[in-house]
Amino acid sequence: MRMPILLTIPAVLVASPVLAQSATGSVEVDGVVAGRCLFGLPNATISLGEISLPGTGRLDVSKVNGRTATLNAWCNGAAATMTVTTTQLTTPTAAPGGFDNRVDYTGTASVTSGSASDSSLTAGAGTPANVGRFNGDILVTLSAASSPTGGLMVAGAYTGNVLVTLTPVN
Amino acid sequence: MKRLVSLALLAMALPAAPALAQSTATGNVAIDGRVAPVCILGDPNPALVNLGQLSASSGPRTGKIATITPQTVQLPASFCNFAGSVVRVTATALTSSDTSVPQPGFSRAVNYTATATNWAAGASTATTNALRDGTSPTASGLGSTQPLPKIADIALTLSNFTAPGDLILVAGTYNGTVVVTLGPAAVAD
Repeated sequence: MRMPILLTIPAVLVASPVLAQSATGSVEVDGVVAGRCLFGLPNATISLGEISLPGTGRLDVSKVNGRTATLNAWCNGAAATMTVTTTQLTTPTAAPGGFDNRVDYTGTASVTSGSASDSSLTAGAGTPANVGRFNGDILVTLSAASSPTGGLMVAGAYTGNVLVTLTPVN
Repeated sequence: MKRLVSLALLAMALPAAPALAQSTATGNVAIDGRVAPVCILGDPNPALVNLGQLSASSGPRTGKIATITPQTVQLPASFCNFAGSVVRVTATALTSSDTSVPQPGFSRAVNYTATATNWAAGASTATTNALRDGTSPTASGLGSTQPLPKIADIALTLSNFTAPGDLILVAGTYNGTVVVTLGPAAVAD
């Protein structure tokens, strides 16, 4: 006698998968940080005191060379540059023959990543130096002091300055 | 159905976005110094003027003062580094080392004129007028004011040597001095 075999297939095995109905949105966000340089400490003063030699009346270069001042700044760009512009020390009184009323010098600004300098003997700024990103002190140093003729220094008050310019090239 | 929505927020597309800053930053180091007003006189050359024999040793003026050639002393590279300086000359007559009062007809003093030139337009001159006994031997004079800083060789000339009353000079060694002072006109007196 043949025995019928009933084979029942569960319905779940044949059901088709459920189709997903989700949706995705994306928001892309971007921004920019501009190249910037900023001085935290933008001003300083170097007071040289008496700059002539007591015995001879001529320039005492030791009163100028090696004198320093410290500024503080940062730049956030890899291509930032630093430029120095020096202005000679002068006094308003005219200098007759044998006398000088001007002191020239070299000003050098140094940061950890580079340095730039300028001599007041030549007009305009010195060559820009790449300093990149930095955040810290700028040491300004005076050197190579001289007077035009090596003559006697005219009495008076002498003033000059070293200008340090940071340019945030992107 | 799958839906994809993409929304890009581009900074450059935003009309209110600030311009990218490229401005430079500057720091300044001020430098000041000073040169004090000063005058320096060069060392006198010669430092000692030896007139030798002061009295005539022969002829009608024997014993009286001889003709003495003017003497010049240089003070090289003297300078003042400011405007408004002046030279003062203070001369003291030559007097004999014998300090006793001379007998009538004799003198123990020799007067002269000291003149400093080559500093300002007007020379500095002093003429001594000591008495025969050597009293009141000192005289002084100011030159005109030098209006600029100046460096020069100041020339000091001693001349016009005379004896009070043209009297006979007593024997002995005679000494005098000239003091040259270079300084600011305002306090030269």
